[in-house]
Amino acid sequence: MPIMTVLLFFAFASCQKRNTTEESFGETAFHINHLIDNEELKTDALIYTNAAGNRYMVTEIQWFITNVRLVAEDGTEHIVSNQDEESVFYIDTDIPESMTINTGQKFPAGEYAGVKFTFGFDKAENQSHRFVNPPQSYMFWPIYLGGGYHYMKLNGKWINQQGKTEPFNFHLGIGQEYYDESKTNGALYNFGRSDSYEHCSGYQPPSVLPPVMGFIHNYFTVELNHPFTIGQDQTSSLELLMHIEQWFKAKRIYDHDEWGGAIMQQQDAMEIGIQNGPMVFELRNGK
Amino acid sequence: MKLTYKFVQGILLGFLLFLVACSDKTEIVDPPPAYTPTPYELEIPYAFPTKLNIPGDNPLTVEGVELGRYLFYDGRLSGRTHPDSLMSCSSCHIQENNFEPGVDHPVFEGGFVHGLSGQQTHHVVLPLVNLVWNSSGYGWNGSFYNNNENPNQRQIEDIVTLSVIAPDEMYGDTSRVKALFQSLDGYPELFYKAFGSDQITFKNMARAIAQFVRTLVSADAKIDRYLRGEEQLTQSELNGFILFTTEEGADCFHCHGGFGNPLFTTHLFYNNGKDTIFDDPLDRFAVTGDPMHKGAYKAPTLRNISLSGPYMHDGRFATLDEVIDFYSHDVKWSDQVDPLMHHVLRGGVQLTPSEKADVKAFITTLHDEKFLNNPAYSRPEKFPDQN
Repeated sequence: MPIMTVLLFFAFASCQKRNTTEESFGETAFHINHLIDNEELKTDALIYTNAAGNRYMVTEIQWFITNVRLVAEDGTEHIVSNQDEESVFYIDTDIPESMTINTGQKFPAGEYAGVKFTFGFDKAENQSHRFVNPPQSYMFWPIYLGGGYHYMKLNGKWINQQGKTEPFNFHLGIGQEYYDESKTNGALYNFGRSDSYEHCSGYQPPSVLPPVMGFIHNYFTVELNHPFTIGQDQTSSLELLMHIEQWFKAKRIYDHDEWGGAIMQQQDAMEIGIQNGPMVFELRNGK
Repeated sequence: MKLTYKFVQGILLGFLLFLVACSDKTEIVDPPPAYTPTPYELEIPYAFPTKLNIPGDNPLTVEGVELGRYLFYDGRLSGRTHPDSLMSCSSCHIQENNFEPGVDHPVFEGGFVHGLSGQQTHHVVLPLVNLVWNSSGYGWNGSFYNNNENPNQRQIEDIVTLSVIAPDEMYGDTSRVKALFQSLDGYPELFYKAFGSDQITFKNMARAIAQFVRTLVSADAKIDRYLRGEEQLTQSELNGFILFTTEEGADCFHCHGGFGNPLFTTHLFYNNGKDTIFDDPLDRFAVTGDPMHKGAYKAPTLRNISLSGPYMHDGRFATLDEVIDFYSHDVKWSDQVDPLMHHVLRGGVQLTPSEKADVKAFITTLHDEKFLNNPAYSRPEKFPDQN
């Protein structure tokens, strides 16, 4: 009897140990792809038509995602970090190796509900000179326009109302609030979110440009609810898709003829991109 | 039997001692370690990239850089000694002219260079400034780049070799050049100090010159001191800075840098709307084969740009004013024009005369006197053979 008791005790003890402390891990690999109308992007091909009826082509796309998190079924979030232990990833259609995010990081094996990330940088993360090396440093956003970095450069051309092929730079980043005399009866006002920039304090703007009174951080969060599994000692392959045409139609129609070639100083144009942005992305299981 | 046993034992012991002695002798005859040159510490200026483009087989050393400086300036690099046939890197890359010929060059009229054969270079000379941070390809079309399938077209070392043999440059012979320098007093000793052998090879000559060129750093212009918070810009310079870095202004920054990219270049290649017909066999298209790259060339650094004329790959503009006028009013549309030239259908950024003056004032803040007069980059008073 005493022998049986001891054996049973060890049997239970070993079962408990196996059930509670043997956690298993796996990895994830994101493969980024850019699509237009569900087809893989063909750069420099004037073959697309957006929702506004603009025929257009895309030459290159360069963009940042930050604060990337895997969301487990129980709601726990696991942050995805790069080799510098920062959750910052630069993606560039001209740099094939940037189209895969595989950090070798271990995540608990199990069921996941989806992925979240910040498109661009939140205010705290968007600090000038955080990148000194190219290609990330080439994404700097001019200090007078708010500093930090472009969230995205999407460059291409469209056929304008005159039938001419005209370049467009659909660039998203920090927006500006400009001094508007009509709104203030000539009095200077502050939007309450102004980030003063001492270097430019003595600046007198050119005639076409009223003074900048404040900045608007245009980043947004993307939540992609798509279940996936991370298997023990396995790499779970995920596809992160950018549906380019959605930048121009998901919620509001964006018309190149209305906004012209450059929008870094047109907050109203960038605002359309921000409203459409959360619907631009899709997560799929990898092949 | 006992004797025999002892005899065999003695033989074995002797053989063992012989082996041990031999093995010791093998260690002793190992060649002494070669001269170990002193690593050259390249200081990274404020906000500059930390990644340097230095090939693994040619690290910067104090001795290599010193030797490279002599060779860079020694006119006998052409392989000739007659005063009329001397030519070196410094014949075209003149320090006080931003390591370019300059439009007022006494021999190369208007800054257009020709080699010892009399043949003119295909493109105008690019400056030798901050090249240690260029990883996107050297030359106007970037035909020398790190992972080029052709191992002879990758690095500054390869450009040095080409410069010595090309008819439109030194038009020399590398065997003759190395033999000449082997015969010059003082040089073999410097090669030993730099590379561990006093037998001069042309490969080591190119390595030394490349090392020197990688130390040519411009990072103390007025704009640098402003960005470091040490000096204020004038009102006109500030206005120019804003114009330089805004899309509704002069919109220079996407290709030529600014606060976040103090190299004042991306080192990338753009068709900036100079032409509508593209027939240059050495444009970017020649390197990539992509028809959209026809008429595209490197965006050069704007550091010390006021000294860098004539401007553009073919030197079509003699002055900065002409360049600013071009970007304001004369940009031409083509299928290949880069999307960043979004003002193209209006002919350019349409700067007013006062805005042009402001942009020019700002660009002048990229003038770095310290770089242009740095004694470490200057012509040595004497060469190793006291010549």
